[in-house]
Amino acid sequence: MDRDQMDLLVEIMEEHFVVLETALYLDNQPDDQNALRLHNESSRRYHQLLEMYETRYGPLRNTSMSDYPWGYVDDPWPWDVDFTNY
Amino acid sequence: MNSNYQTSNNCNKQLARCYVPIQVMNRVYSSREALRRGTLFPELYRPYTPAEKERRGNYYG
Amino acid sequence: MWIYEKRLQYPVRVYSTNPTLAAMIIEQFGGADGELSAGIRYLSQRWSMPTGKAKALLTDIGTEELAHWEIIGTLVYKLTKDATIDEIKGTPFEAHYVNHGKGLHPHDASGVPWIAAYINTKGDPVADLHENMAAEEKARATYEWLINISDDPGVIDTLRFLREREVVHFQRFGEALRSVQEHMESKKYY
Repeated sequence: MDRDQMDLLVEIMEEHFVVLETALYLDNQPDDQNALRLHNESSRRYHQLLEMYETRYGPLRNTSMSDYPWGYVDDPWPWDVDFTNY
Repeated sequence: MNSNYQTSNNCNKQLARCYVPIQVMNRVYSSREALRRGTLFPELYRPYTPAEKERRGNYYG
Repeated sequence: MWIYEKRLQYPVRVYSTNPTLAAMIIEQFGGADGELSAGIRYLSQRWSMPTGKAKALLTDIGTEELAHWEIIGTLVYKLTKDATIDEIKGTPFEAHYVNHGKGLHPHDASGVPWIAAYINTKGDPVADLHENMAAEEKARATYEWLINISDDPGVIDTLRFLREREVVHFQRFGEALRSVQEHMESKKYY
């Protein structure tokens, strides 16, 4: 995996993490406006990043579109990505 | 005696119940910092420190 | 209904080949206080929670725990994928290897296979949330023991991440308990 692809993948992990943390917080406190605002902003960025990644590098979800042939089956699978030089 | 006990315990809280304080979101880490630390919220960041690791590692010999 | 994203939640780094360490890490893959237990426990409890907030929280944390299960499996995989037979022989991983090869199977560090007796859905929301809080503390403690015996900096970094998640989950279940308790109290008066 080249540096640009790994950068984007880690950015997706980071943005998704904010989305998840705000979601867990909101599950208990749905009325917190600040939290909801942060969640929505992060959600928008996260979906943009995900689409950008999939357009360049192929589907990360089996619900996403793919070039020919079906790219979802391609390497690398998550446990094979080597982050040690990142 | 009973009424003193109640007020010093600051209670609309009942016996035989567990109460975890409710977090109120305030400052947040950047997305990079948050993923690195494992939480978005500084008030929930509670790392396992080398000193504690030393203490716990040696505690049971 | 579940959607899978073909990526890890966290960038997992493993710098060494270490079958012995893998045999210990697998405790969180198939052990009593591991991620599979956490995921199945929370996802099973959803049906008997009284509020939408509690159902949402159990769904979301349960799903996150499966992502952690995937991370633990990845740690074991990376620690053993390049191990030679000589590196495996004489280690605790040898017992796993003779049954499962280098494949991943949910059992604990002693080889005891995962069992649903590790979890409970009591059907009582207050009891279930207490079980979950206890589970998070047990998982946190297990990660501390694992950090103590690990020498690979990438593995330690990943274990620290997973440990911090348990702290956060404990807080969320604690908040859910307050909310559920209030809800059940308010239903008593009509």
